[in-house]
Amino acid sequence: MITFSRVSLIYPHSTTTVIEDLSFEISEGEMVLVMGHTGSGKSSLLRLINGLVPHHTGGILGGEIIVDGYSTRSSKPGELAGIVGIVGQNPLASFVTDTVEDELAFGMESLNYPPDVMRKRIEEALDQVGLAPLRQRNIATLSGGEQQRLAIASALVMHPKVLVLDEPTSALDPIASEEILAILHRLVHDLSVTVVLAEHRLERVIGYVDRILLIEGDGATSIGEPSEILQKTDLVPPIVRLSRALSLDVIGTSTREVRKQSEEIRLTAPDAPRPAFNVGEVSLTFADVVAGYGDKTALNGISLQLHQGEITALMGRNGAGKSSLIKSAVGILSLTSGAISFGSGSSAKNLTGIAQRERSKLIGYIPQEPGDLLYLSTVEEECARSDRDHKLINGTTLASLHQMLPTISAQSHPRDLSEGERLSLVLAIVLAGSPDLLILDEPTRGLDYEAKNRLMALLHERARRDGTCVLMATHDVEIVAEVADRTIFLADGEKVADGSTLEVLLASPAFAPQVAKVMSPRPWLTVGDVLRSQSSSQ
Amino acid sequence: MKAFHPLTFWALFSSLTVGVIAADSAIVALSAVGGAALIVKFYKQDGPWRMSFQWSLLAGLVLIAIRALTGILIGVPRIGEVLFTLPRLSLPSWLPGIRIGGPVTWERLSSSLHEGLIIATVIALFGAANSVTSPHKLLRILPSRVYQLGVTLTIATSVFPQLITSISRIRQAQFLRSGAKPRIGQIAIPLLEESLARAVNLAEAMEARGFGQSKSQSRYRPINYAPRDLFWIGFGFLSATAMVAL
Amino acid sequence: MVDRRRCPSFAKQLPVKLLRYLLISLLVPSTLIGFLWPFFVSSQSAANKAEWFFLLSTTISIALIVSLVATDDLGSKNVAFLGILSALVAALRPLGIGAIGIEPMWFALILAARVMGPTFGFLLGALSMSLSALLTGGIGPWLGYQVFAAAIIGFGVGIIPREIRGKRELALLAIYGAVAAEVFGILMDLQFWPWSLGSGTELSYLVGAPVTENLSRFFSYHFISALAWDIPRATITVLLIVIAGKPALNALRRARHKAAFVTHIEFEELANVRLNHR
Repeated sequence: MITFSRVSLIYPHSTTTVIEDLSFEISEGEMVLVMGHTGSGKSSLLRLINGLVPHHTGGILGGEIIVDGYSTRSSKPGELAGIVGIVGQNPLASFVTDTVEDELAFGMESLNYPPDVMRKRIEEALDQVGLAPLRQRNIATLSGGEQQRLAIASALVMHPKVLVLDEPTSALDPIASEEILAILHRLVHDLSVTVVLAEHRLERVIGYVDRILLIEGDGATSIGEPSEILQKTDLVPPIVRLSRALSLDVIGTSTREVRKQSEEIRLTAPDAPRPAFNVGEVSLTFADVVAGYGDKTALNGISLQLHQGEITALMGRNGAGKSSLIKSAVGILSLTSGAISFGSGSSAKNLTGIAQRERSKLIGYIPQEPGDLLYLSTVEEECARSDRDHKLINGTTLASLHQMLPTISAQSHPRDLSEGERLSLVLAIVLAGSPDLLILDEPTRGLDYEAKNRLMALLHERARRDGTCVLMATHDVEIVAEVADRTIFLADGEKVADGSTLEVLLASPAFAPQVAKVMSPRPWLTVGDVLRSQSSSQ
Repeated sequence: MKAFHPLTFWALFSSLTVGVIAADSAIVALSAVGGAALIVKFYKQDGPWRMSFQWSLLAGLVLIAIRALTGILIGVPRIGEVLFTLPRLSLPSWLPGIRIGGPVTWERLSSSLHEGLIIATVIALFGAANSVTSPHKLLRILPSRVYQLGVTLTIATSVFPQLITSISRIRQAQFLRSGAKPRIGQIAIPLLEESLARAVNLAEAMEARGFGQSKSQSRYRPINYAPRDLFWIGFGFLSATAMVAL
Repeated sequence: MVDRRRCPSFAKQLPVKLLRYLLISLLVPSTLIGFLWPFFVSSQSAANKAEWFFLLSTTISIALIVSLVATDDLGSKNVAFLGILSALVAALRPLGIGAIGIEPMWFALILAARVMGPTFGFLLGALSMSLSALLTGGIGPWLGYQVFAAAIIGFGVGIIPREIRGKRELALLAIYGAVAAEVFGILMDLQFWPWSLGSGTELSYLVGAPVTENLSRFFSYHFISALAWDIPRATITVLLIVIAGKPALNALRRARHKAAFVTHIEFEELANVRLNHR
C-alpha cells in the first residue's frame, strides 16, 4: 500500500537532512507507529505520505514514495485526498466551518460530489466515530475527544485507504483516548484501512500497533515488530521499562503478557511503602468554595488543604471542575461563596480581593497554553523581561533555564520551540519569582517522555528542596503516579476522592497507571515501586 | 418550522426601501418601520446579529437628531413661520463664513426632520433585514463563481468567536504574569501568533482534503425557495409598486 | 474519483485575464465618483436621485471588484490566511469601543498588507470590513463605501518598495498609517456629508456651485469630524505601528515563510541530495 524507496528529505533553508535513505513497505490493513524524539522528523514523514511534503511545504526530495500505485512526485496532495486522509495535531485549527455536519460536507463539496453521495457518506462517517447525536452542534462546544473524532470523520468521508494521524491522543483524557484507539482498531480490522500514526504517549497505543518505525537521533531509521524495536530505544512506555527492569524474557507490550511473566514477583515480593517525607505547613486552603459562570455552577462546595513541599495532582473528567478550581485559586474566577486563603494559623491571608501583584508573588501559574504568557521575539528577551519583573540580576532566569535545558538556544524564537522547551521556558520565568505555590494546568500536553522526565525532576526538586506547594491538574496518570504525593479527584464540581496517590489511584480502575494494572492487586504504581520491593526482599 | 431562504427578507426590505424613497412621505416611512418591527418580532434569529434592528433604530434616531440640530444651528433660512430666534454667533474668519444661529422657521425644522426620517427608515429596514437573516445562510448561497471567497468568509465567521475567546484568555494570562493590566501590544502579538499558526495549519488541512482541486463545487444542502418565501417577496414587490405609484 | 482540474492553455487564459484587468480598472474610478458626486450635481432633484443611486452603485461595484480580484486561483494558503486574518482584523475593531476613533484594526491591516502584498491587502481590507458588519449585524446602507475605503487602504500599502526593512520600513509604515487614517476619514466624511447634513445648511454641498466653493464647505465639515474621529484614529494607528510593528512584521514574515507561499520544490536523485546538501 505504501512504499518508500530510498527517500531522503531536506528543507530548502536548512543544512541537515531530515530523513536519509529510508526504505520500507507498509501493507494494507496494517497499523504502524512512528516513534522518535521531538524534532526527529516524524511530522515530515507523515506528511510525505500524502504529498504535503514537498508540494505544500516545499522541500528537496530524493527517492520515490508510492501510495496505492500513485507516486507523490506526480500527484499533488489534493489528488491524493481520496486515498490518504490526514489528521493533524490540532484538530480545532483545521476546521473550516462551525457545525459538525457542514464540516463533514466541506471536503466533498470542494471535490464536487453529488449531494446524495454526500448524505450517505456523512451518515456513515458519523456512525463510525459515534458522533451521530451531535451532528448539528457548534464545533467550538465539542470536547477535545469529540473534536478529534470529528477530524477523523472528516477524513473518513473520503473513504481513504490510508489514514495518517499526528499525535491523536496527546491532548485527551484516558477515556477519550481509548475511544479514539478503538475507532482506529475497528478501521484496521474491519475495513482494512492502513493506519500510520505518530504518538508520544506510547503506553496508550503500544498494544494496538502491528509494527513500529523508529527514527533515531542521527537520522537512521528501523522498522519492525514492537518487541524488536523497543529493545533499541529508551523512549519506552512504563510497561516496557518494567519488563526490562525485571529482566523478563519477552518485552511485553500488553498488560496481559507482562502480567503472566511477572507472576512470581507479583506474588512473592513484600510491600515496600514509598519513602515518607515531612509535610510542611498548610499553604493553601479552600473553605467551602462555590463558584460558577453565570447560572452554571462549576465548583460546588470544595474544601481542601494543600501543604508546603507537597505535590498534589488534580484529576477528573473534562468538565469536572479542574480548570475552575485552578482559575479560582489564581484569581480569574470569582467566588460566589466560601474563601480561599494562603498560609496557616494566625498569618493566614484571605486571597479574595488582594491585588494581583501580591497574588503573583505568592502563586506562580502555568496556563494550559504556556505560549499565552510570551510575546517577545527571543528566549533571551523573555528571560531578561522576567529578570526585570522580579527584580533579579540580569541573566538569572536564563541561567536557571539552561540548568533545566542545557541545549536550548537563547536566540531562538519562543514560537519555534518544541512544546517541552516552551514549557521549560515558561517554568523558568514563573519560578524566577520564587512563588510559594506553583499551579499548573495540564502541563503534559504534547510532551514526549524526555520532557516529562524533566518536568517531574523539576517539580520534585522545587517541592522537596524549596518547599514549594505544587498543584497540577492533569490527565496523565503516569506522571501522577511518579511524582504526585497526593491526588484529588473531582466530579461535577465536587471532591470525590482526596488522599495519597497510592490509595486514590489503586481504587480507580480507569485511572490506574500501567504498572498498577499489571501488578494488581499489589500496591505498586510505578516501576520504581516494584524495584524497591524487589530489592527490599533481597 | 423550516427556515426561510436567506434572500427572502432582504428582497422584501429592499423593495420596501425603494418604495419608501420613491413615496417620500412620512406616513409611508413610519408604517414601513412599523411593519418591519412586526416582522422582526416574529422572525428574529438567534445570534449576535439579532439586535441589529434595535441598534439601527437608535442610529436612525441619532441621525434625525443630527439633522434637526444642524438644521436649526446652521440651516439656510427658508421663508416661513418663524418659530424662535437663536442668537447669532460669528466664527473666526478662517472658517468660511458660516452663520450659526438666526431665525428658525417651521419649514426649516420640518424639512430637516422629514429628510432625516426617510434616511432613518432606510437604516431601520436594513437593520431589520439583518436581524432576520443568518449570515451563515447567506454565505451558503453565494454563487459558485466566488466559491473560494465564500470559503474565506466561512472560515472567518467560524474563527471569529474563537478569537474573541482567545483575547480574554491571553489577557488573563498576561495579567497574571505581570500583575498589571496588559498593554494592547501584549495581547495583540500572542493573538497574531496564534492566528498565524492556525492559518498555517488550516492551509495544510484544506490542501489535504482536496480544496482547489476541482473547477466546480457542489452544495450539500441546497437552499430552495418555498411558497412562503415567494409570498413575502411578492408582498414586498407589490407594496413597492403601490408606494411608487402614490 | 477526483475531478482533475482542467488547466486551459495560457493563450486561452490571456483574454480572460485582460478582461478582468480592464473591468477592474474601469470599476475602481467609477466607484470613486460615488464619493465625489456632491461636487458635480447641478440641480436639487438630480441631487436627491444621485444620493440613492450612488448608494446602490457603490455597493454593487465594490462587490464586483472584489469578486473579480478573488478568482478561483486563490488557493488553500491564501484562503486560510485571508479567512483567519480577516477574522483577526475584524475582532480587533471592537477592542477600542471605549473611545471614538480608537480602531486597532488599521495597524493590523496595514502590516498584514505590507507582508502579504497589496492584492492580499485589498481583499483583506474588503473582507474584514464586510465581516465586521456581517457579524455585528451592522449591514447598513453605507457598507459599500466602507468596504471600498478599507480595500483601498489595504491596497495602497503597495506604494512602499518591497525591499525596505528595519527602522526605515517602520517609519514609512507609520507615515502611511497616519495618512491612511486621514484618507479613510476623508472618504467616510465624503460619503456621510450629504446624509448627515442634507442640502440646506451652511455647511452642506451647494447644488451647482463651483468646485472650490464646495471644497471649502467640505473642509469645514471635515475639520469638525476630524477632531473627533480622525486624529484619534491616526494617533492609535501610528502608536501601535511604532510599538508593536516589529514583532508583528516578524510574526507575519515567519508565518509566510513557514507556510511556504513561494514553494521551493525539487525532486532529485538520492545521490544528489546527499552530496549537494551535506
